Amino acid sequence: MKITREDIDHLAELSNFSLEDAEKESLKGDLENIIQYISELSNLDTDGISPTFQVFEMENVWRDDEILAQDADRESLLALTKEEEDHQIKIPKVL
Amino acid sequence: MKIANKMTKAVDLVQEALEKVEKYKDYNIFTFVNAENALKKAAIIDAKIKKGEPVGRLAGVPYALKDNFLSPEGETTASAKILTGFTSPVTATSVKKLEDEGAIMIGRTNLDAFAHGSSTENSYFGVTKNAKDKTRVAGGSSGGSAVAVALDIVQFATGTDTGGSIRQPASFNGVFGLKPTYGAISRYGVVAMASSTDCVGFFTREASDLDLLMSITAGRDPKDQTTLPDFYESSEGDKKDFPGQRAGYDRALARDTRDDGLARRVSREVLSYRIGVIKDFKSDILDKKVKELSAKGFEIKEVSLPTLKYALAVYYVTVPAELSSNLSRHDGIRYGFRSKDANTLSDLYEHTRAEGFMPENKRRIMIGNFVLSSGFYDAYFMKAAKARTLIINEYEKAFRDVDFLLTPVSPNPAFKIGEKVNDPLAMYLEDVMSVPANLAGLPALAFPAGETDNGLPVGLQLLGPRRSDAELIKFAEENL
Amino acid sequence: MKKYEITIGIECHVQLATKTKLFSEVDNDARGKSPNSCVSPVDYALPGMLPRLNKAAVEMAVTAGLALNSTINLKSRFDRKHYFYPDLPKGYQITQLYSPIIGPGYVELPSGTKVRIEHAHLEEDAGKLTHFDTYSLVDLNRAGTPLIEIVSMPDIHSAEDARDYCKELWRLMTYSGVCLGDLYNGNMRFDVNISLAEPGAEKLGTRAEIKNLNSFRSVEHAVAYEYERQSKLLDRGEKVKQETRGFSDATGKTTSQRSKEESQDYRYMPEPDLPPLNLPESLVEEKKKSLPLLPSDYRRMFGGLIPENILEILLDYPSLMQKLAEVDKKFATKVANLFSSVLLAEENASLLNDPLPSKDQLEDLISMQENGDLSSTAVKSVFLKFFDKEMHFKSTETIAKELNLIQENDTDTLEKIVEDVVSDPACEKAVADFKSGSEKVLGFLVGQVMKASHGKANPATVNKILREKLK
Repeated sequence: MKITREDIDHLAELSNFSLEDAEKESLKGDLENIIQYISELSNLDTDGISPTFQVFEMENVWRDDEILAQDADRESLLALTKEEEDHQIKIPKVL
Repeated sequence: MKIANKMTKAVDLVQEALEKVEKYKDYNIFTFVNAENALKKAAIIDAKIKKGEPVGRLAGVPYALKDNFLSPEGETTASAKILTGFTSPVTATSVKKLEDEGAIMIGRTNLDAFAHGSSTENSYFGVTKNAKDKTRVAGGSSGGSAVAVALDIVQFATGTDTGGSIRQPASFNGVFGLKPTYGAISRYGVVAMASSTDCVGFFTREASDLDLLMSITAGRDPKDQTTLPDFYESSEGDKKDFPGQRAGYDRALARDTRDDGLARRVSREVLSYRIGVIKDFKSDILDKKVKELSAKGFEIKEVSLPTLKYALAVYYVTVPAELSSNLSRHDGIRYGFRSKDANTLSDLYEHTRAEGFMPENKRRIMIGNFVLSSGFYDAYFMKAAKARTLIINEYEKAFRDVDFLLTPVSPNPAFKIGEKVNDPLAMYLEDVMSVPANLAGLPALAFPAGETDNGLPVGLQLLGPRRSDAELIKFAEENL
Repeated sequence: MKKYEITIGIECHVQLATKTKLFSEVDNDARGKSPNSCVSPVDYALPGMLPRLNKAAVEMAVTAGLALNSTINLKSRFDRKHYFYPDLPKGYQITQLYSPIIGPGYVELPSGTKVRIEHAHLEEDAGKLTHFDTYSLVDLNRAGTPLIEIVSMPDIHSAEDARDYCKELWRLMTYSGVCLGDLYNGNMRFDVNISLAEPGAEKLGTRAEIKNLNSFRSVEHAVAYEYERQSKLLDRGEKVKQETRGFSDATGKTTSQRSKEESQDYRYMPEPDLPPLNLPESLVEEKKKSLPLLPSDYRRMFGGLIPENILEILLDYPSLMQKLAEVDKKFATKVANLFSSVLLAEENASLLNDPLPSKDQLEDLISMQENGDLSSTAVKSVFLKFFDKEMHFKSTETIAKELNLIQENDTDTLEKIVEDVVSDPACEKAVADFKSGSEKVLGFLVGQVMKASHGKANPATVNKILREKLK
C-alpha cells in the first residue's frame, strides 16, 4: 500500500501533532514499510472467527454507587496544570 | 529465625545501593535518584526493628522503579518529554503494595519513551547501556530496570511488559524477568501503553524472589476492573521473605538458611512436566537447554503453532491502536509539558504533542490512527482481533499436550547502540518471539540460559497457560 | 397541505441520577458546587487511571430501556470515541457503539404517533468550558456523568410531534426514576435531525442536525425554522447541505456549525479497560418488577375519570400523578381538578416545591365538600393551607374548623336566622319586592342570611328555606 504525503498529513491531523517537512518524508517511508508488513494479515483466513479484544473471561465487573474519598483532591490535581483561575484550568481561547 | 548480632541495617542497604548508583552512573540507568527519601525511610525501618516492632517482608530492600509507575517520589515521566514536570499525586497499586512491605525505591529507571521500543534508545533521556557491554543496548523498553538488577545495584526492579519489555532486556542482561498472566497485577497508576496487553512484572537475580514479589503484588484491585480475582498462590505461602537481603537479619547467616530452605522444600513431581518447543522458534542455546532438561528426564515435545508467524503483525496493529488512544490524554492541558508556542488551542495541542513525543511515539500513534480510521478498521484492527483469537486457540491446543513452552526471548542477543535505531521495522522484528505471550495473556518467565561466544548473556523464556505463574516460577527455581 | 414532507429523527442525551459518576466514586450532582470539586484522578485523566464502572448506572440503563419498551441486550460492551477537545480529558469518550445495552423499542405519543427507538447506549458526559475574551476555563465537574443516549428512528413528521416526543421522553425518564429531569441544568439535551422531501418520494432528503437543544419549545421552534429554511432552498432548486447547526433561542434561528466534509473520524475502538457486560436475566426481571408507573399506566388508570387535556397537563408533574394514584379513584376527578385549577395556577407556582398533602387529607377534603360541610371556596382555602408548614400535619377537619369554614347545614338553626332576616325592617322592601315577583332580590336576601351566619350557612339550603318562607 502506497502512503502519500496527504495520508501523512491526514494521520498527523488525527494524531493532533504538527510535523516538520523532513519528519514527514521519513515517516512516509517508515509507515509504508510498517503498513506493508501488517498487511500480511490479509493472507490469513479468519472467516467465521470471532474477534478477541481482551484476554480474560471476566464479565460484569462493577462497583457500588457510593461516594468514596479519592487518591488526589482538587488542589493537588489543579496544581499540575500550568495555569489555573477560579479553580479551573486555563487554556488559550477555544475558537 | 535466629537473628545474629551483626544485624543488617536498612540504612546500610540503601547506602550501599546509592553508592552503586553513583558508581554506574555512565550506564544511564536512572532518570531520578531517590537518595534523601530512601535514607529517611530506611532510618524509620531500622528504628522499628530496634524497638521490636514488626516490619514488612521487604523491609529495607532497595528496589528500582521503572519510570512509568506513578508515585509522589520523583517525576513520573515515562522517559518522555511530554510528561516532564509531572509529579504524581497518586501512587500505583503495585508500588503501594511494595512500599507497604517496606521496600525502598532507590531510583526511577530509564525506558523507551512510553515503553515504545526494544532498546531504550527512544528515551528522552538517552540510551541505557548494556550491563555486560557498554557499546550495546540494554534492550527495552525496561532497559534501566534490567541493568539496575544485573549490576546488583538493587535487589529487584519493576518493569512493564506489553510485547517483551521485561523479558528481552532481562535476556540481554542476564537476569530473571517475569511477565505475569494478564490481569495478575493491577495496572492502576502505570502509564498505559496498550491496555489489553500491558502487564506489570519484575526483574530479579533469583527466580524465587519472583515468587515473593508476586505474592505481594498480585491480586484483584477495585481500581483496575481488568485485574483477575486473586489466584496467585506462592509455593511457600506467606512465610517467605527476602532472607539475607532484607533488614533485620544477618546476611551471611541468612544466605545459608535460604539454601537450606530450597533444599528442604517438598518438591512436586516435577518430572511429570512435559516441555514443548515451538517448531519455528529455535536457537543454539535453546537446543542446549532442551538437551539438559531431557537428560534430567523431562519429556520434550515439538509443537506447531502455525498462526504465530502472524503474531507480530497482529501486535503491530492492536498495540498501536490502543496506544494511540491511550496517549490522547497527553495534550499539555492538565499536566506535564506544555509547549511555549501555544497561543491558540490548536497550537497548544499540536506543538505540545509535536515537541513532547519522541519520533517512535509519533510513528506508533500514526499507525494506530491508520488502523482505526474509517475505511481501514475492518481490514486491520478487526482482522488482527480475529487473528488474535486464532493464536489464543493454538496456544490452548498446545497446552493440552505440554505443560510449558520453552522458546528464545528474541532472535539475537544485545545489539550495538545505533544499529537498528533508524530502521523501525527491524527494531519491531526484535519482538517476534516475545509478543505472542502478550497477545494471549500468558505468563512468561525469562531466565538466563547461557552466553554467546563473545560473552553476551542470552535468555530463554518459559511460557505456561494463564494463571500458571506460580508453577512457572517454581519450575524455574528448581530446574533452570 | 404542506409542500414538503418533513422527516425527523431525534437523539436525546439523558443524565442518569446516580449518586456517583459512571467511572469514578465522586459526587455526580455538581449543581451549585464549586468548579472541579467533583473530580477524581480518573475524571482528570491522569496517566495510568482506569475506569471503574458504576453498577447503578447499568441498572438505570436497564430501567430506562424497559420504560422505552425496548429489548435489553444482556450482552453489551463499551467503546472509545476519539476526538480532541479540552472538555474531554482522556481524548476519547467511553460510549457504546458496537453493542449498546438498550435495543429497539418505541415511544407512544399522546397523539397516537408511535416513534420507534433504534437503540440507546450508555456513555459518559463531557466537562464544561467557559469562554472569555482571550482564554477559556475548563471545569470537569460534569465530566464522567453517566448518560444514556436514546436514538429514535425517523418516525416524526411535524414540529408538534417532535416536541411531544421529547416531552414524552422526559416523562418516561423522570417517571422511571432514572433522571432528575432538570432541563435548565442540562439533564436532558436533544439533537434533532431534519430532512425534507416531496411527498411520496422514495428517498429521504439530505438532513441537517440541530445540536444541543435543551427545551421542548426550542425543539419545536428549531424544527419549524428548519422547515422554512430547507423548503426555501428546495423551492429555489438548491440543495440542503448535510451539516451540524446550532439553534439560538434568542433569534429563533439555526446557524451552520460544521459541514459533513469537516466531520470527524472518531476512530471507534472497543474499550480494553472494561470487561464486557453479560447481565443475568434476573437483573432485568427485578428491574421490570420494580418499574414505577409510567405515563401510559396513568392514562389507562385515569382515562374517563380525568378529562384528557387536564390529564396531559398533570402528566408533566410526576409527583402529582403519584399522589393521584394514591387517592381513592372516586375522588380522583375532583383532586385532579384541584391540582390543575389551584395548585398549577400561576400564583401558586412556588407550592410545587413543598410536600404534597397526604392521601387522607385530600380524600377528607373532597368528602367534606360532597357532604356540604365545605363550600367550594372553602375547599380551595383548606387545600392551600395544606401547604402551610403549620398546617401540613393537621387533619382536614381540624384545619377547616380552625379556619371556621364548616358550613351550617342544620335546618332549624338556618330557619331561625332566615326568620330574623325576613323580619328585619331593613329587609322589608326586599321581602315585598320578592313577593310581588322580583326574583333578583333573592340574591340580596341570601347574602343577608350568609352575613348573619358569618358566612357559614350553606347557600343552597338558605335559598330553599327563603323560598319556603316567602311563598
